Amino acid sequence: MNIIIDDKTCPAMAGEMLLTVARRNNIHIPTLCHSDALPGQATCRLCIVEVVEKGRAKVVTSCVYPVTQPMEVHTHSPKILALRRTIIKLLAARAPHSEDIQQLMEEYQITIPRRLHGSSTESCVLCGLCVKACEKLGLTAIATVGRGTGKKISTPYDEPADDCVGCGTCAQNCPTGAIPIEEQPTRRTIWGKSFELLSCSVCGHAFTTREQWEHIRRQVPGISDTPVCESCRKQQLCAQLRRGHQ
Amino acid sequence: MKHDTGKKVLVCCGTGCLANGSLDILTGLRQRVQDTACGAVRVEALIKATGCNGFCEKGPIVKILPDDVSYYRVQSTDLDEIFASSIQKNEVVERLLHLDAATGQRIRSQHDNPFYKKQTKLALRNIGEIDPTDVEDYRERGGYQALGKALQEMSSEQILEEVCVSGLRGRGGAGFPTAQKWRQCASYAASPKYVVCNGDEGDPGAFMDRSIMEGDPHTIIEGMLICARAINAAAGFIYIRDEYGLAVKNFAHALQSARKQGFLGKNILNSGFDFDIEIVRGGGAFVCGESTALMASIEGNVGEPRAKYVRSVEKGLWGQPTVLNNVETWASIPPIIQHGGQWFHSIGTATSPGTKVFSLVGKVRNTGLVEVPMGITLRELIFDIGGGVIGNREFKAVQSGGPSGGCIPASLLDLKVDFDTLTAAGSMMGSGGMIVMDQRTCMVDVARYYVNFLAEESCGKCVPCREGLRNLLNILTAICQGKGCADDLDLMAEICAAMAEGALCGLGKSAPNPVASTLKYFRDEYLAHIVDHYCPAGICKELTDFVINPDLCTGCRRCVKHCPADAISGNPKEVHSIDPAHCIKCGNCIDNCRFQAVQTMKGGSSQ
Repeated sequence: MNIIIDDKTCPAMAGEMLLTVARRNNIHIPTLCHSDALPGQATCRLCIVEVVEKGRAKVVTSCVYPVTQPMEVHTHSPKILALRRTIIKLLAARAPHSEDIQQLMEEYQITIPRRLHGSSTESCVLCGLCVKACEKLGLTAIATVGRGTGKKISTPYDEPADDCVGCGTCAQNCPTGAIPIEEQPTRRTIWGKSFELLSCSVCGHAFTTREQWEHIRRQVPGISDTPVCESCRKQQLCAQLRRGHQ
Repeated sequence: MKHDTGKKVLVCCGTGCLANGSLDILTGLRQRVQDTACGAVRVEALIKATGCNGFCEKGPIVKILPDDVSYYRVQSTDLDEIFASSIQKNEVVERLLHLDAATGQRIRSQHDNPFYKKQTKLALRNIGEIDPTDVEDYRERGGYQALGKALQEMSSEQILEEVCVSGLRGRGGAGFPTAQKWRQCASYAASPKYVVCNGDEGDPGAFMDRSIMEGDPHTIIEGMLICARAINAAAGFIYIRDEYGLAVKNFAHALQSARKQGFLGKNILNSGFDFDIEIVRGGGAFVCGESTALMASIEGNVGEPRAKYVRSVEKGLWGQPTVLNNVETWASIPPIIQHGGQWFHSIGTATSPGTKVFSLVGKVRNTGLVEVPMGITLRELIFDIGGGVIGNREFKAVQSGGPSGGCIPASLLDLKVDFDTLTAAGSMMGSGGMIVMDQRTCMVDVARYYVNFLAEESCGKCVPCREGLRNLLNILTAICQGKGCADDLDLMAEICAAMAEGALCGLGKSAPNPVASTLKYFRDEYLAHIVDHYCPAGICKELTDFVINPDLCTGCRRCVKHCPADAISGNPKEVHSIDPAHCIKCGNCIDNCRFQAVQTMKGGSSQ
């Protein structure tokens, strides 16, 4: 089926999310909490758009809105722009030092209202990507704690988590750089827990924590006994394939 | 010798009456009956504990049948007299009857009491009349007859049609047509399907669901069974907030007796239909009253809502088709099946048929639970049934729909209450809480109070709700402290708009209501705080000084006695004065003065 996004006709499959269709058609909708690998957060609300279906207009969140019928979508209507601006102001009031949010403020020509200025010095916007990433890896080292305005992301009882393997996937997925990760040549510290780094048995590059390597070995039976880093693994795989080809 | 009095004594054991010692009344009366066993004349009378009668203000309530006499504010010291006069004989203890404030007359029957006269009890039909732990009591009043009819005489489609004709709309607050929900769920082939009862009543001041769960649990079971039959559901869940200990207890007891009687379990009433219900105890998070958060909580996940673009009727609990309704909705189902949808539709208004239970609280004289036909005016509800404002103060506003409802001003007192009129007025039906406010209520402070509640109870998942509430609270707190600035009102309106459109769930979308409605109806009061640094109601301490008007002060010393800070001085029959240096601005003086001699002034102006 075809849907119309900002006057452009876009082919879409039933069940696809509106944001996916828009991005495939080079229509830019801002997001903070969306990740193709970890979809469905719908927490930052930046991707709101106006949808007209069967003559009825409504504001929806494009990252979780499934296309089910022909529709007209406005990603930058005056109403959406006004709402999105307010949401950016609220995000900026919470995490004023985040680069992504500063960029959004520039793009939407926003200054933080005096009243909201300095109301928080956080950098976490509680998008939830870190928690979801941790869950996807089969770990639950971090979770949202509490509710309401006091909600935060933390380890159980704010103590170093037994389940944390120091992989750093949470920090990699954080859109606002809110999870501090400290890298030294042979050690990594994250969530208040320090990890020994293991070196690649091929190139000698320190690339993983002992706990992460053990976790991977539990999850992927038959993987080599000694740690091999990603690039060396690729090279090994290529060599294997080449040999097989010959 | 035996003296069978034929009397049935109903002692209200709703939570309000229990707190006022009704358990002592119950055991005291039973003891007195028992004590006659060894005497010359053995008195026989049935003493029963019932659920909440609704008139909580005047509890504990004792009703004596068949004489139809109702006693209010009964104390243990009254029991000998009640037993001797009204149980052993047919006499009435005049002083315990309801005193009608308007006529000065004592009223014997509950039905003649102005508090009950305008009510139509439908969802609450059995509460106060039956012992909730005795299924026979429920059956005596027609209980489980609707289930029999639904199982043996009606097809699924006929049940759906009957509910459709009734026009019943969900009593949880949003007012979604119940039949439409059931029909959609029935249309999906996926199996199993679930039926859920939302008993996570979290609104401050609301206790209608509690009252039904405590006082008439079988009606909920019957309602859920009928729906389960109509949509062919396999299992049911009732989510009860854990603070409602008596509700959990009575409901668990009701489930057991229903199973024993063959109303739950396998092959119900030999119809071949299987269904059972499980209790899930909520942890007390307000947001778990939101349907999708509630389902997440039942599944064992964090109670956070999800976007409802795919509805729960298609993918709800564990991704299966689910019908979730509120306690009061379920309680309305058996009478609809029993008496027909047309009968239900004839009550109330065309777009909101039936009745609605409201909890009248705040500065209203008759605090309690009332059930009235939709379309009743706020004035009838608050003044005729509620008895007006305490101390005959001037009515200022009524807050309806729970914390995310709105404040309706005096100018709208003749509003006919239904789902649509309340929404149009900037408030909502919500669960049916009605908090009455008088002139000593500061609307900015009220908005701040509710926003504070919501800031703590929002799930905190999405930005507009969480950050919007955080910033609204900061701004409102500043205004209450006299630190408001001119741009604040526009900024608040902007945040409210972003929340109403941009938040993830219904709770977040309605969370700005307390601010938006007070901004709409009480803007002057905000401006008084910001521009004049004055709180007209005398609530915001930084902006208030209390002074005594010498022309009105009679020197009665009442304020002196009530002042906890010894800040008021003055000899009897001489004009009193308040020392601002010692005044803690609690407002006891103004609340207790009978001559309106205590007045508020701009803070700091009396020094």
